Amino acid sequence: MKHILQVLRFEYSGCVKTKSFIISTAIFMALILLMAFLPGIILSAMSSDQGGEPTGDEKKPVIAVCDNTYHEDELVKQQLALYYPNNDIKMTTEDIAALQDKVDSQEYAFAVVLNEPLSCTYITKNNSVFSTNNSQLTDALTKLYQVMQLEKAGVSPEDSLNIIHARMKMDTITTGTDQGQNYWSTYVLMMILYIAVVMYGQMVSQNVVAEKNTRAMEMLITCAKPTHLMFGKVIGSGLAGLTQMLLIISTALVSMNTVSKDSLPAQIKDMLSFPMQTVLFALVFFILGYFIYSFLLGALASLASRSEDLNTLISPVMMVYVAAFLVVMLAMSSDNLNGTLMIVCSYIPFTAPLAMFTRIAMSDVALWEILLSIAVQLASVYLFGRLAAAIYRIGVLMYGNAPKPAEIIKLLREQHRSNKALKAAAKQS
Amino acid sequence: MELNIRGIEKHFGEKEVLKDISLTAKSGAALGLLGRNGAGKTTTIRIVMGVFFPDKGEILYNGKPLDRKKVRIGYMPEERGLYPKKRIDEQLIYLAMLRGMNKADARQACDKWLDRMGMNEYKVKKLETLSKGNQQKIQLAATLMCDPQIIILDEPFSGLDPVNAMLLKDVIKEMIDGGAVVLFSSHQMNYIEEFCDSIAILNGGKIVLDGRITDIKHSYPRNKIAVTSSQIEQIAPFVLQYMSGEVLSAEPEKGVENTLLIRLQNPAAKTKLLQGLSDKGFDIDAFRVCEPSMNDIFVQYTEVGI
Repeated sequence: MKHILQVLRFEYSGCVKTKSFIISTAIFMALILLMAFLPGIILSAMSSDQGGEPTGDEKKPVIAVCDNTYHEDELVKQQLALYYPNNDIKMTTEDIAALQDKVDSQEYAFAVVLNEPLSCTYITKNNSVFSTNNSQLTDALTKLYQVMQLEKAGVSPEDSLNIIHARMKMDTITTGTDQGQNYWSTYVLMMILYIAVVMYGQMVSQNVVAEKNTRAMEMLITCAKPTHLMFGKVIGSGLAGLTQMLLIISTALVSMNTVSKDSLPAQIKDMLSFPMQTVLFALVFFILGYFIYSFLLGALASLASRSEDLNTLISPVMMVYVAAFLVVMLAMSSDNLNGTLMIVCSYIPFTAPLAMFTRIAMSDVALWEILLSIAVQLASVYLFGRLAAAIYRIGVLMYGNAPKPAEIIKLLREQHRSNKALKAAAKQS
Repeated sequence: MELNIRGIEKHFGEKEVLKDISLTAKSGAALGLLGRNGAGKTTTIRIVMGVFFPDKGEILYNGKPLDRKKVRIGYMPEERGLYPKKRIDEQLIYLAMLRGMNKADARQACDKWLDRMGMNEYKVKKLETLSKGNQQKIQLAATLMCDPQIIILDEPFSGLDPVNAMLLKDVIKEMIDGGAVVLFSSHQMNYIEEFCDSIAILNGGKIVLDGRITDIKHSYPRNKIAVTSSQIEQIAPFVLQYMSGEVLSAEPEKGVENTLLIRLQNPAAKTKLLQGLSDKGFDIDAFRVCEPSMNDIFVQYTEVGI
């Protein structure tokens, strides 16, 4: 136990003091601060743009309308102005060729020819894929048609405008979990969980390979038991990871509640407003997932002699992890969180951290299910920890090509047998 | 104080790596562990360190099974084992603490040994910034910091310049005189001869020769006499005539100036030879029995078998 603590402390301070750790934490924090300030900066820049417009003499961009259908200039102008408040609407009788020339020379922002009640020609210089003008114009002209029709039926233009632009206001009351509300916040937390587990797990595996590669292991292994080294290392790196996450998250929380309290758009606020309970669950599942994966990654890394071999060795585990992520993402987007697949995944140690967390955050899960999933994961942390320590013991002093799985199993068995024999001998004496 | 390795056997998979290894190392004298690459030296050392469990046999310290928690062991691996990217004092203190020291003692020992090695100025530097020889000295400091009762040195001299080698020799001699049990593995025979009273030669996982160096050398035929003199051209015919029948040959040693090698039928005849040479009044610089060098012995016992 003393050894575990010493290794833990050394690994933790080693991690936290590395340049890469400090720099990446600083970059993350800076990015978050930037994101917090950015909406405010952009908004103020935009408002100053708009503020400058009315005082200036420059003309508003002109939209030319050639009305061959209604012959109601005022009504058309009024209707279009609703949709284009920053443009001048000019009624014209020019033909299409003339309009094309003027649009091309940018005298007009764009032009529209109303041919029949439900048919028009839209003349524009560039038609961008991202432009919303097409649908906006269609909408405006369709509404115009509706107003005209209602007027024919005897409804006054004001009334018809009100009828057409009426909008339903809806209040939602949910008795279960409101997916619409927490979809994005869960999504964000899930991504953080996914990235954090794999990032810090890989950090453990890289440290193990580095120790082996630099032969520091030769000394360490004579000072402490492999089990202690393994546990100390995994817990130490995990704590370093938690430190980094706490720093980043608290920066985010503080900046959200101070700097960008008012300027943050409502959608982003929604994405970042995590219920406390969900955050706690994210923490629990991060710890469980981290242990499960970092034990495996650390054990596999101990079999590699050089860092070049590392990727090949850990790729099966990484593939399983990515698969788990994809399953959960698919279930999230297809709204099938409590399907058979997800329920099964909640109890498989490799997928449980992501699957169970998402189910808890976005749907109703019984308490016993949560407890069972956590129990399964705790048991596998214990098992993987022991297995990892055994593999580590074999791996760290083995150089050259990484052994094949069958060889590892054979060596593990042998080690197990000799340990048993040794214990029996110790008892006898 | 005594370290006993008794009847150790070990196999990895199908391969038998150690076959019935038994050794004794006493305090106040160093035991040299010799053997070619792959002979089983490092495995033996790792079993002593408790990294591997032997299939059979035991390690005793003063007659009792070695308790690695109580007996302080200093180990210097052949493949140097420290963190290149960490500060020297940090890792020295860390290793000493893993070996059971408390932090204050570890700090003190770190200062003491860095001072002893003349490495004080590098205390807060990263290991990788040091030259190879200096890294070696740090490694030795790491080995000796816990004031070990058993010291195991695997190729301690590789990569050292003569001045550093001298420093290292002094330190090791100090530890031997201080009563530590020293196990010493090297390919450099001159160091083995200098430090070790006894040697054990491993070959193919077996001990093929062990004992005190002087005893081993004495066990070789002592009938070869080397005479160093400026007059060997006169001496050679004289000897052949003076001791005819008792001398097998008298030829100048190849590659060495002014040295005559005389092989006697009977080693005891050397007294008569010396008498004859001095009676005749030859100018003799040296007269000695040619002993086999450690190199010769090593090669003889390890040529075959792996």
